[in-house]
Amino acid sequence: MRNPQPQSPVSSITERLSGPDARAPITRLFESLRPDLLRFAHWLARDRAIAEDIVQEALLRAWRSRDSLKDAGAGRAWLLTIVRREHARLYERKRLELVSLDEAIETQASAGDAQPDEQLFALRHAIMRLPIEYREPLVLQVVGGFSTEEIARELALSPTAVLTRLFRARNKLRVICGMTAAPDVLGSEALP
Amino acid sequence: MTCEQTRLLIGAEPDTTTAALLEHLQSCPECSRFRDQVRAFEVNIRRALEQPPLSSAAAVPRPAARRQGVPWRQWALAASVTFAMFAALLVWLLRPSETLAREVVAHVESEPQSLLATEHVTAADIAKVLRGSGVELDVASDRVTFASNCWFRGHYVPHLVVQTTRGPVTVMILRHEHVGSRQRFHEAGMSGVIVPGAAGSMAVLARGGGVEGLVDVEHDVRWLPHGRS
Repeated sequence: MRNPQPQSPVSSITERLSGPDARAPITRLFESLRPDLLRFAHWLARDRAIAEDIVQEALLRAWRSRDSLKDAGAGRAWLLTIVRREHARLYERKRLELVSLDEAIETQASAGDAQPDEQLFALRHAIMRLPIEYREPLVLQVVGGFSTEEIARELALSPTAVLTRLFRARNKLRVICGMTAAPDVLGSEALP
Repeated sequence: MTCEQTRLLIGAEPDTTTAALLEHLQSCPECSRFRDQVRAFEVNIRRALEQPPLSSAAAVPRPAARRQGVPWRQWALAASVTFAMFAALLVWLLRPSETLAREVVAHVESEPQSLLATEHVTAADIAKVLRGSGVELDVASDRVTFASNCWFRGHYVPHLVVQTTRGPVTVMILRHEHVGSRQRFHEAGMSGVIVPGAAGSMAVLARGGGVEGLVDVEHDVRWLPHGRS
């Protein structure tokens, strides 16, 4: 169920805590990373309200299992992983039928004003158009800072498969942005 | 490494610098050129992903597959849907300014770097951001530390940060948002006002309680007469 009025996940947690807990390092960690988590979830879900829900659920989940975080330095990767899994869980659970992204983008494009940076605008559209199997590893790598091996573990893929997806993700972006595609060095398998 | 292996690695991990890769690049100008192209494009990918995506209805759930029903049921359903859409439209049109304030605060929170910037923005860059917005800013450019056009509620809007004695104050020119009167708000540790203007409105906000210090900035924004933007 989506929240009718998304509120800050951090504030919703701190409101439930009493006194000293609200200033605990874990809460400060949540607060400092929340913008990153929200941006990450937003690129995965492509919808602000859903991203808010995902981050809120993820932070609650993280709070319940906070004892499993032994190294505060690993907090960012830990939280990003929880957000990614919450996103995957949401779509497994709801199995939403999605509106065509083309329709959504066309609606926005026609309604938009003159864009200050057309190339960047086009690229953001292009990333939105990427299928989730390409967008997810790209976002994990660029936004999350995960290595190929970490992405492979998280997505239950081989490192080679992750490299392939990352290569093809960037190649697809080149094509969508009107650039020449790099030859698919991965053999005869056609780009889907 | 072969050229194929090199290009796969570069295309997947543009920043990678393994010894084997560097050795191959030294002897292969084509792969070296390919790497330069990928890296140049990578800068744009990173810039694109630095911001949240364009707000979209991309993941709006659709109703389940339609079922055949008797005509009156279809009419009843159509009437219900029409009523619901009308009600939703009415709610949207009459949505309280609190929602606008919440979204303004959420936007500022999503761009924390805007409040941390310390280098001043040039007068030319400020003018570029404000072009077409219908306002001018009567502030010395050395007090403006952030100026950008940001995607907000379906439009690009000027987003500026002005340094004041109470700290950084955010100004967003909301030409497409109309409010009936001046609205004060307190949300998520921020305080501010939404002020109606000659065309649309503007939001002025800062961290902390109270709206002291915001009025000066508010008065520094001058709405231009219609037709001059």
